[in-house]
This record gives sequence, C-alpha cells and structure tokens, in this order.
Amino acid sequence: MTPVIQTRALTKRYGRRTALHGIDLTIEPGRVFGVIGPNGAGKTTTMRVLLDIIRATSGEVRVLGADPRTAGPDLRRRIGYLPGELALEGRATAHGLLRHYAELSGPVAVGRIEQLSERLGLDLGRPVRSLSKGNKQKVGLVQAFMHDPELLVLDEPTSGLDPLVQQEFLTMVREARDAGRTVFLSSHVISEIQQAADDVAVLRAGRIVDVSTVDRLRAAARRSVRVTVRPDARDALLARLGALPHLEELRYEESDGTVTIHGELGDGVAAFVAAVAVSEPLDLVVQEPDLESAVLGFYGTLGEEGDR
Amino acid sequence: MTTMTVRRPLPLLRRVLADSWRGLIGWSLGLAGVVGMYLPLYSTIGGNPEFLAIIESLPPELVAALSYDQITTGAGYTQGTVHGLIGFVLVTIAAVGWGSSIIAGDDERGTLELTLAHGVDRTQLVLERFGAIALKLLALATLLALMVLALNEPAALELSVEGIVAGSVSLLGLGLLTAAVGTMTGAIVGRRSLAVGAAAGVAVLGYALNALGNQNPDLEWLHALSPYFWAYGAEPLANGFDGLMGLLYAVAAVAVVVAVLAFRRRDVAV
Repeated sequence: MTPVIQTRALTKRYGRRTALHGIDLTIEPGRVFGVIGPNGAGKTTTMRVLLDIIRATSGEVRVLGADPRTAGPDLRRRIGYLPGELALEGRATAHGLLRHYAELSGPVAVGRIEQLSERLGLDLGRPVRSLSKGNKQKVGLVQAFMHDPELLVLDEPTSGLDPLVQQEFLTMVREARDAGRTVFLSSHVISEIQQAADDVAVLRAGRIVDVSTVDRLRAAARRSVRVTVRPDARDALLARLGALPHLEELRYEESDGTVTIHGELGDGVAAFVAAVAVSEPLDLVVQEPDLESAVLGFYGTLGEEGDR
Repeated sequence: MTTMTVRRPLPLLRRVLADSWRGLIGWSLGLAGVVGMYLPLYSTIGGNPEFLAIIESLPPELVAALSYDQITTGAGYTQGTVHGLIGFVLVTIAAVGWGSSIIAGDDERGTLELTLAHGVDRTQLVLERFGAIALKLLALATLLALMVLALNEPAALELSVEGIVAGSVSLLGLGLLTAAVGTMTGAIVGRRSLAVGAAAGVAVLGYALNALGNQNPDLEWLHALSPYFWAYGAEPLANGFDGLMGLLYAVAAVAVVVAVLAFRRRDVAV
C-alpha cells in the first residue's frame, strides 16, 4: 500500500537556524500516528510543510501520493487540518466561518456541521471572536472533520478542551480510523497520544529520535508516585520499595499520624503496586507520566537545545 | 449523499465583503459628509473676491503646493478641496488599511494559515482579496461621482459629466495604487507595519513630490515620479480623461502581479 504520508530527509532551515534535520516519516493508511515532543521540537513545522503553508528547504514530501508543493488546492481538499496556534477572529458567527471553509474545501454533507457541533457542544450562532479558547478549538475541530477528509492532520488537537469533550474527540478519531481515514496528530501530553494513537514518533530538536509503539514509550516514562500508610508499616514498606529497580528518589514525611512516601517510578508499575499492597495503604497516587519525563527517561538527560 | 451548495464563485472575495461592509458604510458616510460640506460653499469661497484677496496674500509657494491657484473655477475648487485633499486623504487611509490587512494583517493575526490549509490557491487568494478592495474603492469613487453630479448645479460648479467621471477614475486609480503597494509589501514580508508604511509612504511621497514640482520649473521633473501628479496633473475635473491616469492602473497592476509571485513563494505563519 502507498503510504499516506512519506517524507525523506525533510529539512527546513530559517536562515542559520535549522528547524528540521532530515525527517524520515512513513504513515500507512488507516493508522492513527502520533508525534510527541517538547515545544519547539518541530511538530508544527512538519505539519505545515505537509499542508504547503511553509516549504521544505530540502528533502522529499509525499502526501496522498502527491507533492504538496505542486499539487495545489485539490490535495488540500482531501486533508483536514487543525493548526496548533489556532486563531479565529472577526465578526462572523461560527456557522458563517464554517460555511466559508466548507465552500473552499467542500462538499460537506448537509447537517454535518450541526451534527459535529452538537457532539462537541459548540454554539454555532456566536461570533467567533467572542468564543473562549476551548470553543474556538471546537470550531477548529469541526472544520477539520466536516468534509470527511482522507487525512486528518491535527496539531495539539485537545488543547483547551475540557475532559468530556476530549473523550468525544477521541471517539471521533477512532470513528475516522474505522472508516479507513488516516490521522496524524501531535501532542506534548503522553496520555493523549496513548489513548488516541497506534504508532508514535518522538521528535526532539528537529530530529525523530524514535518511532515506537505507545506501550513501549509509556513503560519507560517516569511518573511520580505517592503512598500513605500507617507509621508502623513504614520501615517494611521502605525496604520493599528500596528493592525495586526502577523506583528512585524515595523520601517520606510524617504528619497527622500517617506516613507519606514519595518516589519517581520508571518501568514496573505492577511490582510497585504489589509491594505497596502488602502494607495496606491508606492512599495511593500514581501520576500520569508527562512527555518531558518520558523523553528524558527514554534518552537520558537531554539539554534544552530545542528549536522550532 | 446530499451535499450542501459548494464552490460558488469567488468565495474569498465574498468573504472580505461580508466581513467589511460595515466599515465601507462608515467610509461612505465620511466621504459623503465631506463632499456635502465643501462643495456647496464654492459660491461663498471660491468665487468670493474677499477670499481671492486672502489667497493672493498667501505665500505663492503655499498656494502652489495646495493647488489653490485654480480655486476660482468650479473644477479647481472641487479639486483643491475634495479630490486633491480631503477625499484623497480618506481614500488613501482606507486603501492603506485594506491593502495592508488582506495578506500581512491576516498573516500576523494567525488566521491566514487556516485559510491556506483549505482548498485555496495562493494566486486566487491574492486576486480575490485585492478584487474585493477594488470593488470597495469603486464604490467610494462612484459615490463621489454621484455626489459631485448632484451638487454640480446647486453649487454652480459648472463641471462636465466627463470631468466628474474622470475625477473619480483618477482618485480610484490612486486608491488602487496605494492598496496594491500595501498588498505587495504584505505579500513579500508578511508584516502589517511594513505594509502600512510602504502604502502610506507612497501616497505621502506622491503628494510631496507633486507639491515640490509645483514650486518652480526646475523641480517639475519630480512630477514624473508622483502618482498624485499622474492622477491630477492633467486636471481631469476640468479637462476630462487623459492618458496620464492610466499609469496609476498600470503600476497598480504590476504591484499585484509582484504580490502574487512573491506570495506564491513565501512561507506563511513563521
């Protein structure tokens, strides 16, 4: 099968600054492909090249079998794009603006805009400039999905959305995939990638440092853990936890007749929970690993050499 | 699958008009107010012996700069007060704002990226949006012509219909040129402040070169560089159409072509 997106040695320079150092990316049809990386890693730049908003300095880019630089508007009608820095202004209502984009990239099925808006809880009658960030993001999602494109390119799609709407968004992504569409999305939140994506690429400072599955990446991520026990269980628990190979920075504090133990856990959640369970914990918190720690944990300590 | 109506012609042009018709009404009211205020005063100012005495007492350089040496005729008065002064200023301000906003302003606000990500060609974007500006300027020029026509007899201006139309066509050309320079600069650099500066700079410089060229024969060559002179040097209100004003349209067209070529090559949203 022809890949939906394929880049080879994709490089983008702004003057002396290099934003992309030769990106090789292959995304097969019907997949949800996530790219994660800290701000400035090159996620947005890569997506903008796919949409021909900016032009590569060198390298090859194929999107749906065509070169975006020369394919023209017909190619972009087959793509739904949500910009990472979504700006919506003007006196037009959300509905008016969406109709305008539908004219540019349609056809759009009758009732489709209303149906998507209702799913996301978007009031179409209000002027876009008066909408909150979350509601603007919903407008952005509707315009990306409304013409049922073959390829969705979504830059930080859940930014500003409340958790319920995020769930609805994830459902929309799954539906698109089940209908044979391909989704390329970016995030700096690992939980979002984990829930949405089949494959994941880690981007850092303009380079792809790994292409992997979500499970493998997640296992390597460090997460903060906190367990509260009775004082008499403290020493035995500390001893068991100290024996776990992926648990670091152990420390504890006492207050109100309980002991709270903190630590940073890498791989081995099951072993950690087993070790804690014996002590009959009063409370247990395993925090979501964030991308920063996932990437740092995966590749050792990496300095802030990120550029856009 | 039933589909909603799509791909009606000129979506981007219609969008600009839908977003800005309120502003256009504001400009129209302003222009109509100015014309309606100045022209009826011709008989009490332009043809008034006391006022002529005042003008004669002014420094001749000032009179030349303002083109008030012709103010005793209806055409000279209309030119000196409306087409060459207040109307020129209003149309210039509108053209600078519109020209600098369609690309540079849109890029700076961050809204251009999403439009370009849809089924839009960049040439189409420049041409449709500039076309919308041209229509709005045409509306102002038409309004001006109709107002002058309506006031011609009551104010005893004694203008010919051809002169009235030619005056509007000259001002329209000036506005198009200014807007095209703003569009072109925005297409090249994407910065609104630079686009405003370039467009306003061309208008102000054109006025200044014309005023300098009026001072004495040694400086008359400056007229050749002045869009303001291209518009009004042949006194269209008095003499009707002249080839010189065609230069405005030609240069505006070149600027739009440059805008298209530059914008097709440029990265957006950086």
